[in-house]
Amino acid sequence: MNLNEKTKPPLKQRNYFKIIRPIFGVLVTLFLIWRLYLVFIVQHQYGPETWTRLLISGLIIGGVYSLIAIGYTLVYGVLLMINFAHGEVMMIGAFTGFFVFEATKSISVPSAGNPELVFSNAYPALSILIAFIAGMAIAAAAGYFLEKIAYRPLRKAPRLIPLISAIGASIFLQNAALLIFSPQTRNYTNPEALSRGDGWKILINGTDVTLPYTGVFTFILSILLMVGLLFVVQKTRLGKAMRAVAMDKDTAALMGIDVNQTISNTFIISGALAGAAGVMWGLHNGMFHYFVGFLPGIKAFTAAVLGGIGNIPGAMLGGMLLGMIESIGPTALDISYQLKDVVAFVILIVILIFRPSGILGEVLAEEKV
Amino acid sequence: MKKHLLLSVVILFALVLTSCGPKSTPADEEVCTADAYGCAKIEAGQTIKIGMSSPMTGGYADFGIDAENSGLLAVADAGEFEGFSYELVAEDDEGGAEGGAAVANKLAADTTVVAMAGPLFSGATAAGIPIYDEAGIPMLSPSATNPPLTEMGSAVFNRVPFTDEAQGAAAADYMYNTLGFTKIAVLHDGETYGKGLATIAKEEFEAFGGEVSTFEGITVGEADYTPILTTISADSPEAIYFGGYNAEAAVLTNQMKSLGLEDAVFFGCDGTFGADFLTNAGDNAEGTYHATPKDPPASEGKEKFDAEYLAAYGVAPVVLSPFSYNSYDCVTALITKLEEVAVLGSDDALYVPRGAYAAAVRGLTDYTGISGTYTCDEVGECNVEGPQFWVVVDGEFVYAE
Repeated sequence: MNLNEKTKPPLKQRNYFKIIRPIFGVLVTLFLIWRLYLVFIVQHQYGPETWTRLLISGLIIGGVYSLIAIGYTLVYGVLLMINFAHGEVMMIGAFTGFFVFEATKSISVPSAGNPELVFSNAYPALSILIAFIAGMAIAAAAGYFLEKIAYRPLRKAPRLIPLISAIGASIFLQNAALLIFSPQTRNYTNPEALSRGDGWKILINGTDVTLPYTGVFTFILSILLMVGLLFVVQKTRLGKAMRAVAMDKDTAALMGIDVNQTISNTFIISGALAGAAGVMWGLHNGMFHYFVGFLPGIKAFTAAVLGGIGNIPGAMLGGMLLGMIESIGPTALDISYQLKDVVAFVILIVILIFRPSGILGEVLAEEKV
Repeated sequence: MKKHLLLSVVILFALVLTSCGPKSTPADEEVCTADAYGCAKIEAGQTIKIGMSSPMTGGYADFGIDAENSGLLAVADAGEFEGFSYELVAEDDEGGAEGGAAVANKLAADTTVVAMAGPLFSGATAAGIPIYDEAGIPMLSPSATNPPLTEMGSAVFNRVPFTDEAQGAAAADYMYNTLGFTKIAVLHDGETYGKGLATIAKEEFEAFGGEVSTFEGITVGEADYTPILTTISADSPEAIYFGGYNAEAAVLTNQMKSLGLEDAVFFGCDGTFGADFLTNAGDNAEGTYHATPKDPPASEGKEKFDAEYLAAYGVAPVVLSPFSYNSYDCVTALITKLEEVAVLGSDDALYVPRGAYAAAVRGLTDYTGISGTYTCDEVGECNVEGPQFWVVVDGEFVYAE
């Protein structure tokens, strides 16, 4: 809290901003409410089936954002830095999953009824499990080495330096993937049981609304992973060490916690979650390439800030919220789809005006300010 | 004294010798000083470079690879000129404006680059034209179809494809009159080419009396367009017309199927045609429409090109992108015109008067390439006939009736 007093701006200027900021926030909020009123009450153009579909797609993409956002938040918690190469870790996960599915597809297990049966269709659950384990393991390793090579040597440097190193690592990983895997777009071959585009049909307002298998799978798995992570952070020794390091590295070291190991573990966990997000991305969207991690990475970072960076439930909430705003926002506000990112960022600004440290606040980093 | 005498004898001797050779007048200097842009000088031993600017990485890479393939064949077929061989310098512009300008600057800095067979994409072209204009590098694009490109007042830019005016009108006509659609949604990718084409298609479709239920842009490079498709499906249009490129087109067709748009037809354009689309859209590609330039008439040149292309690259032309023939024609036409204006200098270097060369390319008249016969007008439109529509049946492109 000392820091705040040192950098306190002149009194006049502070008052000025104190007044202008909420006014701006209220104006934007009123504008948003007016647009909502127009769309829902005046025009009343879309039926419940449209909103359900938008909600479904928002929740699916939100789950992926949440998993990646947790990675940003965990690393920020322990190191107070933004790991901009995190999106690339997700890309590595997507590639790993792809190669696992290609491998399981190429193993032939002919049965009496179907001589052309392949492993991925004969044992879909097992191949999906292998893909996720491999994707998470390789991405976790990527996260571990990323920290070892790009961040650890800069631990004592000013805070801006590791940030630049992170951007450099991100560009390096993208281009490495470009050279190794070529620039072409690839397609996941899903096991037939989880084929893209198919799903349960629910009848809403006389229309079939598809609940895609891949989407439901993605959503449930991301929730399970998040619950698992909360359990690890709250209930295990590892989680306790992470929380201690996030609060105060020096004191944690004095209490006998291996700080370096804990930071490595944090990167391994965040890498594994990003890897899972990468495999989910591939299963649900199909198409991916070396650049696939960039946009979700930026979006997830936004989500982490939205929920309160350093705060794990905040990252989950922020990811879900951002996914839904992106999906429902342009239609609900009757704004062009090309402006969907603008809509998302305007809402981010409004939230940050009223809650400057995110919706749930910066829990882990609080003591450091 | 003796040395000087010897030197002058040698010089005199050399002058007499060179004056006996072909085209050996000191005309090179005259030609170059008279030319507004000066000359490109290609020293003996250097190659005559023809530039190409196209996306060779990323989602649209097939377009650039196809154009380079065709261009390399054209350069090989051209052989040598006055002892100089040709070289194709194919640079990656990623299809966008930034890349287009960067490639233009790079090529303009190389004085042995005499011509530009491209750029392929309209966005890159719009950014490159001022730079090529200043350097006096004549351009002949096989595929930049955005209408305003020839209205920029450039002295060097020419193109051979049909414009998007023609394509948009033809697509609207085909959808309304041949397929009988009355309500469509129109999407575009917000880029120079896609938005221009979609706007024209929308206006033409409405002019026929059809209804355009949605006219919206999407952002390029995303993997999830379900929200916009959901909104579109609320109006249940019979077709979605898309102005843009194949990467986004594949995502759209894949996601249409689970959003109540199962029966809507995806109608693409010459940017969505190509093998990449088939791979990425898989089964969902069935029944989608795309466009290419008119299929060239059967000719000896076409047969030879088809065979050479297949032998060299393992695929037939017009599989990777619609512009294989156009790309070959552009490079060949540029070479033909170069050979009309280039002068071999007394120092054995080749001089290409840039201004005269640009004027010669603009003056293409009844030039017969594989795609057809080109005649450029005063703004640089050398359009071939088009477009030809294709529909995907059983995983392959076939002519649409």
